[in-house]
Amino acid sequence: MYITITNSDLLVGFEPRVHMLASGMWVEKYRPQTLSEVVNQTEIIGSLEALIKDPTDMPHLLFSGSAGVGKTTTALCIARQILGEYVRDYTLELNASDERGIGMVREKVKKFSRYAGMADVPFKIIILDEADEMTADAQTALRRIIEDTARYCRFILIANNISKIIDPIQSRCATFKFTSIPQDDVINHLESIAKKEKVKADKKGIQAIYDYSEGDLRHAINLLQATASLGAVTEEHVRASAGLTKTTDVDEVLKIALAGKITDAREKMIELIKVYGMSESDFLKYLNSAVFKSKHEKLSDILEVIAKYDYRILVGANPEIQLSALLAELGKIES
Amino acid sequence: MWSEKHRPQNVSDMIGNEESRAAIMEWFAKWKKGTKPILLVGPPGIGKTTIAYLTAKQFGYDMIGLNASDVRSKSRINEILSPVLGNVSVLGTPMIFVDEVDGIHGRGDYGGAEALIQILKEPTVPIVLAANSDSSEKMKSIKKVVKTIYFKPIPPRLLRVYLQNILKKEAAKLSPGSLIKVIDKSHGDIRSMINLAQSFVTGFNPQTEQSFESVNVEDGINAFFKAKSLDEARSVLYSMQIDPRQKIDAFYSSVITSNLDNHTFSDLLNILSKADVLYGKIMRTQNWRLLRYLNEILIKLYKNDERIRYSQYNLSWPLLNRIRWDGRKIKAFSLLMAKKLHLSSSAFVTICLPYLLFCVKNKTLEVVLDTEFDDIIEKEIELLK
Ligand SMILES: Nc1ncnc2c1ncn2[C@@H]1O[C@H](COP(=O)(O)OP(=O)(O)OP(=O)(O)O)[C@@H](O)[C@H]1O
Ligand SMILES: Nc1ncnc2c1ncn2[C@@H]1O[C@H](COP(=O)(O)OP(=O)(O)O)[C@@H](O)[C@H]1O
Ligand SMILES: [Mg+2]
Ligand SMILES: [Mg+2]
Repeated sequence: MYITITNSDLLVGFEPRVHMLASGMWVEKYRPQTLSEVVNQTEIIGSLEALIKDPTDMPHLLFSGSAGVGKTTTALCIARQILGEYVRDYTLELNASDERGIGMVREKVKKFSRYAGMADVPFKIIILDEADEMTADAQTALRRIIEDTARYCRFILIANNISKIIDPIQSRCATFKFTSIPQDDVINHLESIAKKEKVKADKKGIQAIYDYSEGDLRHAINLLQATASLGAVTEEHVRASAGLTKTTDVDEVLKIALAGKITDAREKMIELIKVYGMSESDFLKYLNSAVFKSKHEKLSDILEVIAKYDYRILVGANPEIQLSALLAELGKIES
Repeated sequence: MWSEKHRPQNVSDMIGNEESRAAIMEWFAKWKKGTKPILLVGPPGIGKTTIAYLTAKQFGYDMIGLNASDVRSKSRINEILSPVLGNVSVLGTPMIFVDEVDGIHGRGDYGGAEALIQILKEPTVPIVLAANSDSSEKMKSIKKVVKTIYFKPIPPRLLRVYLQNILKKEAAKLSPGSLIKVIDKSHGDIRSMINLAQSFVTGFNPQTEQSFESVNVEDGINAFFKAKSLDEARSVLYSMQIDPRQKIDAFYSSVITSNLDNHTFSDLLNILSKADVLYGKIMRTQNWRLLRYLNEILIKLYKNDERIRYSQYNLSWPLLNRIRWDGRKIKAFSLLMAKKLHLSSSAFVTICLPYLLFCVKNKTLEVVLDTEFDDIIEKEIELLK
């Protein structure tokens, strides 16, 4: 399997181009292409199918739910089902966490929505993923954008945390809450992928993957593929592949900060953020779950400290200074 | 940026290194096929790149410019230079300029330097190289096939005349004391002198109501933590008439790099965090009035503690370099893969990338990348736990 990236025009600098699809990765290869293939989420799928029977009436949609439960997949399926062969040209996919500010979103939406659809489609579709990464101010601006383009475009907004979406936007959308996928469904899905890929997988191995990925199907499938690269999917091989993710590094940051090694903790955190590009809000998200996992005796003190600095970042302070101060304060807790 | 704005437009506008400049002019004037290429060696900011561009213009050449990162592998060099060397005349009258040749490096990647030397041996067009130093092994082998021309730091008297000239054009003033300081600090580097002068001129406001003299960041931070009393510290703080963001950052990097116990460290960072929150609020609401409270938060940082000294950088060099080089590549790669996988680059890097690398390592997945990215993938695979 190949993933090919070239950077042909070397004088332009770092702008790699992909020649072949990322289909070497199983998460992508086994992404459902139609609503009926989506695992679980039956109620949501049922009502969405009804909603798009007559697409002209389709409202804006807002999907919420944790990672890897099928939100983006469902949005893509809807776009494909409504737009048919024109899906490429008439869908704009944005990820708020990678766009630099609302200005960028506005520019792209403006450009995309400029002309009415030429082909036989009811409207163009704008999928805005991780919309809860946008500040309240940006969301207010987004509301304006949604209004200005309503004639030709429908938005599908996606968020992990619906409470971070401002009311005026929620009220403009039909909202769907995705639940995490039950154990049996995850296991069946993993087994069927293993079968298609002709890898041996025993029950315990698959179970270990589920335990490790906790209902996040993207994580589960990635882990399955990584495990399979060692041979059969056994509990032992799962254990050898699990723990590779950068969330483990966040666990580590917490551990060394609590041990009072602040400088080390800080350099590691900055490496995650500035070398790898983990977003500050993701860092805080994983830090929070690291705290819960740690079952630390001063758990609530720790969470309070994190909340304090999370808030300061939210009101517009400089994340690097705030996160450094956060780690320094964690360094005092055990002493 | 003044240093760009005042880049000389003619070789005769340049200052210093008269003999070296004359030698370059002569080399260009007499150049014919086979003439040895020249290598300009000297410290930063004294006009190597400038003179290369100016002479090219003056002698009517079309400059093909390369820098170290272009000259990393043989295939790359040939790819860029073969049309030039192969006399494809669509290119006009080409010449080649390789800037920062001493920057050619990379593990075992000698192909680049060798290919370059091959070309230097039989020059069919004028070739000019520039470097800061010529002491490495690679430079020694390059030097065998070129004529080396040295550039020296510019003497203070020339710097002074030149700087005064720029200040006049900018209608800007610098006190005699600052002028000397700027010239002295630049160590003969014109670019850094101009930059420093510009920051001095725009950095603070001469007609301030404060009676004490303004100080620069470095002196200010050091004086602050050396101050014998709170009042002294306060006057230092108020005399640091710089952008508030810069002020917070300067205290931040100085505190971060100082060797303090955890409690003091955390207390100071908490104060900086509050100052930073206030600044963020001011920026968001545009209530500049609130700025007057910033110093009153920062003054809480005061303690007579010589362990805290000014530091410009708040990260170790290895990490800074990793951010600069590896970080750029990882981000370019993950942004692209994230789009393919319909998720944010942060989520890709956290959850997917490590598994992807693991599969590559175990040879069940192959990533075919431009050579630019090869080394980073290899490096990251090695870093996997
Ligand atoms: N000899 C000079 N006369 C006048 N200005 C100069 C001279 N040298 C440098 N400068 C100023 O400094 C700036 C940078 O110069 P230049 O790019 O030529 O430096 P360089 O010697 O190539 O440095 P590096 O080794 O860092 O590449 C110019 O834009 C100009 O403003
Ligand atoms: N409900 C689901 N049914 C089938 N596959 C799913 C489902 N949810 C997630 N997946 C798998 O996980 C990957 C990521 O899912 P995605 O829809 O992008 O998650 P998210 O909810 O984070 O947007 C998909 O490519 C697919 O392989
Ligand atoms: Mg998604
Ligand atoms: Mg230069």
